[in-house]
Amino acid sequence: MFGFSIDLPVRKEWKNVDLLRTSVQTCFSAVFQDLNGCDALSMITGELLENAMKYGSWDDTTYTVFRLKIEGTTETATVTVQNPIVVDSDDVKKLFATVEWIASFDQPIEAYRARLREIAGRDGSNTDSQLGLVRVAYEGGASLKATLEGDSVIVSAQLDL
Amino acid sequence: MEDLVVGDLTVAVSTSDAIIICRWTGRSVEREAELALEPFFDNLLEAAGETRSIDMHFEALAHFNSSTISTLIVFIQAARRKKVPLTLHYDESLKWQRLSFDALRMFQRNDELFSLTATTNE
Repeated sequence: MFGFSIDLPVRKEWKNVDLLRTSVQTCFSAVFQDLNGCDALSMITGELLENAMKYGSWDDTTYTVFRLKIEGTTETATVTVQNPIVVDSDDVKKLFATVEWIASFDQPIEAYRARLREIAGRDGSNTDSQLGLVRVAYEGGASLKATLEGDSVIVSAQLDL
Repeated sequence: MEDLVVGDLTVAVSTSDAIIICRWTGRSVEREAELALEPFFDNLLEAAGETRSIDMHFEALAHFNSSTISTLIVFIQAARRKKVPLTLHYDESLKWQRLSFDALRMFQRNDELFSLTATTNE
């Protein structure tokens, strides 16, 4: 049966987001004919890694806690990022609230538009837009799940290929 | 106006009497995209003044992150406030561009201040 799996620890330097995102793009372009699916996989990889680096807890942790995993078949793929967090921190609460908020919409595009509207209504500079996960759901067509495991959070995005 | 070069992103600028054209190439992947893009956008609006429109071409852009999208939305609002006509061009044969830019149609109004143009490079 056709299947694939990538599982690797990640160092938390920001440049690694794009290194891994472009690697995923290149790698899956060699596997799948549908380049749109490769774009979606690489975008999801990038956004989940960015989220982990922005909102994870990076004090006194080893790189092995930060992992990227991509697995799937010809039909579906799941991108999973595990990163260290401070349990009960505002960032973690916000993460779970965002996943729940996205799921409350009938269609991901409604959540995406709602977030765009919110960003447009803000005064001044764009900071902490919280758009990444919504983009994963809308543009990536992925269903999101977040779970806690000890002092880390596991965020996974499953999409049909 | 000078081109913007940030990491793997280049925005090439050409200016005429009536229009400023910006061509985006590479990848926009900065952690805080607004730090580089907002000053550039501010300069663009100043250069446009009351006489020029702005055309932004994204067709050759390989990727942008959500931080870039957010910054772009803030720019769309700023251009409208200053009454600078803004058109974004994208490649609809690329699904990611189609989805990203189609969603921005919600910012179109019944005026000529903001529009989206889909092209195809297929």
